[in-house]
Amino acid sequence: MASTLAYADGAFTAVGSPSRRVAITSALLATACVIGLVEATIPGLPFAPWLRLGLANAAVVIALAAFGLKAAAPVSLGRVAVVGLATGSLFSPAFVMAMAGAVCALGIMWALKRCVPTTTIVGWSAVGSAAHVAAQFLVAAALLGSSSIIVLAPVSVLVALILGAVVGYLARIVASRLHVR
Amino acid sequence: MSRADRIVIVVVAALALAVWPLAVAAADGADQVTITGPAGETVVSIAEDAVYEIDGVRGTVTVTVEDGAVCVAESDCPDHTCVRTGAVRAPGSVIACVPNRVIVRVGGDSTDGLDARVR
Repeated sequence: MASTLAYADGAFTAVGSPSRRVAITSALLATACVIGLVEATIPGLPFAPWLRLGLANAAVVIALAAFGLKAAAPVSLGRVAVVGLATGSLFSPAFVMAMAGAVCALGIMWALKRCVPTTTIVGWSAVGSAAHVAAQFLVAAALLGSSSIIVLAPVSVLVALILGAVVGYLARIVASRLHVR
Repeated sequence: MSRADRIVIVVVAALALAVWPLAVAAADGADQVTITGPAGETVVSIAEDAVYEIDGVRGTVTVTVEDGAVCVAESDCPDHTCVRTGAVRAPGSVIACVPNRVIVRVGGDSTDGLDARVR
């Protein structure tokens, strides 16, 4: 058992190998899709049915921490496309909202990693989650042709920050097992 | 969580709190309910119990006003997020049915305190 673990350890420290990057990125994308599909079936709370934990973002931040934007972008955007295809919401308003949220979250998390190098996976996740929610509200307001829905945005962003930090902690636990910072 | 993480999170939280008053400025006309659909806007009283049928993009949205609260009782949409939002009564509260392009808002049709709309 000990030797197997040592071998696994050795295999994981082959940093920089393109095949390792592709393999781990694909595994993260697959994980994100499954989590996204499971979350899509959970009805949510009665007073806030749109509330989601956003656990799929854990896969995105792990990809970002391990390999940067090159891996995080396919995981994030690929996940939205696959989940949209699987749930039949491709190119529907909900899909446009999800894509806008994913793009904004990805952009802001990447910017945070580059511009403030002392931030960690927890901070990226929290702020990315907030950006995701904020972008969704703006797109929803645009689709509805009315800005009144923005009333709900501030409190939702605060909730998203907390949930995002929780997801970030989970991502950090997984990342530590992957020998990724 | 590093120090930088905490600072960034506090900054975002502060931003959200800073725009809160702007968002809540929509609370004018607290005794009214504004129902916006693809066909236009209808302003009704929240004090009068009534049932309104709104034509949405995908079908009919049934809005019920009862005991000073408003809810979407029925809607022809796939996710029923609007129905599951339940009844709202606080000024500025919103029920949205995105597939049907219908929003129900407690408050009049006055400006909602925002300068611009992102399209």
